[in-house]
Amino acid sequence: MNKGKIISVRSFRGGTGKSNTAANLAAQGALAGKRVGVVDTDIQSPGFHVLFGLNEKKMGKTMNDFLHDKATIREIGFPIHENVGNVAGLSKLKNARIWLFPSSISGRDISQILREGIDFNKLNEGLQTTIAEFDLDYLFIDTHPGLNEETLLSIATSDVLVIILRPDNQDLQGTSVTVDIARSLDVPSLLLMVNKALPKYDPVAVKKEIETLFNAPVAGVLPLSFDMADNASSDLFSLRFPEHEWSKGLRGVAQAILALE
Amino acid sequence: MINDITSQLKKIAIFSGLSNDALADLAEKASARKIAKGEALIQKGEIGNSLFLIYKGWFKIVTVDSKGDELILNKCGPGEAIGEMALLDQGPRSATVIALEDADALELTRDVFKDILDQHPDVSLEIIRGYSNRLRFAITYIERAIDWSQKIAEGDYSFIDQSQPLLNTADNDDDKAAQFLSAFFTMVRKVREREDGLKKQLEKLAFEIDQTRRKKDFEEITGTEFYANLKEQAKTLRQKRTQNE
Repeated sequence: MNKGKIISVRSFRGGTGKSNTAANLAAQGALAGKRVGVVDTDIQSPGFHVLFGLNEKKMGKTMNDFLHDKATIREIGFPIHENVGNVAGLSKLKNARIWLFPSSISGRDISQILREGIDFNKLNEGLQTTIAEFDLDYLFIDTHPGLNEETLLSIATSDVLVIILRPDNQDLQGTSVTVDIARSLDVPSLLLMVNKALPKYDPVAVKKEIETLFNAPVAGVLPLSFDMADNASSDLFSLRFPEHEWSKGLRGVAQAILALE
Repeated sequence: MINDITSQLKKIAIFSGLSNDALADLAEKASARKIAKGEALIQKGEIGNSLFLIYKGWFKIVTVDSKGDELILNKCGPGEAIGEMALLDQGPRSATVIALEDADALELTRDVFKDILDQHPDVSLEIIRGYSNRLRFAITYIERAIDWSQKIAEGDYSFIDQSQPLLNTADNDDDKAAQFLSAFFTMVRKVREREDGLKKQLEKLAFEIDQTRRKKDFEEITGTEFYANLKEQAKTLRQKRTQNE
């Protein structure tokens, strides 16, 4: 039953490049021949589905509908590989197997969900059903920044927690609490990824320093990239510009995830 | 012997343009000096009146630092000339020169030098021409050094790598300019290294976690009934998953 791994990608604050990273990690997994699902639960980042070439019109049923017994998982899964079109990066997923499970959860809906008692077990069941129905190797969850009940639920159900942080004190502080929570909730694997590192930092020193601070592996230190900012939310950067330093760093993180037992 | 001295005199920059006749004349009028080990050939501050051509033995060129300790600036040995400027100006000696062993040198006084100039009028022109060349050469590098200094002030060290070939093509005839360039580049490289090191140290120091706040935030999140339930459910779930594997 527990074939596929649930990978939660999260960050303490917004602006870390989390959604972009989550989307690219999932795509790299799919390129590596894995069957991958991506669940979008970050309502703050409505551009997420756009990264995968999905617009509001194409979006049909959402995870909410499933949680309210209004749709089956089958109906929700959107096959990205069948809808890549001519977009330079995305089209490389033509022969891959990757599905997006969109979520239209608004802030009000979250509280409604909690009020109606959609609890940990229900969410977990939903995710497990997703994995089983689509025979997934990996299910990536893009979560809302911060530590509210919703994100705690997603951490609790994860097999792997990937925390994206920028190398500054505010992110380090927030990440330290997230790391403690992940350990308290017995998340089996924890990976850190430093994003938007300024050129003045020595990546090797940053990696070493942060690994020592958290006693957790740093799977990559990715540079701040203006090329990336230019390309934001129109395509998958690591597929479009595979030779870029950021893309190389991202592939390293993807490989670290795929290498986990 | 005279021939030997002539060829050595020719190596001295201000004599390089002199004819062999003039050089032979100079060599003849120079007087031999014996310097015992530890003896000072030149005293700092004295008004210079002659040039010395080292013939045998090694000397140290020293000055005194702010604490009064001896500071060795350089060493010089056979074939090298000391105090050549004294023949043209009457400035005080800039350093003391002490024999490291028993040594021989030739002394050429300004009076002898003046006689030579009288007898060979073209020599003056040759000397001026020689100095002019050296000055032009030096000015080129001073101008560059000014430009580089401004770049360093702005934290731009990129010229080091671009200007490296200059060091290798520096004219050997004027090794003072080459030495200056080499010392300048060494300095810039060291300054850059030190700056990079400090920068990284600063960035490193910037990584800090407030452990008290970390604990407080953690307790705030985990202290709820919601969290207690979640932790219990997560535990059960993980046990189930392990059993299923």
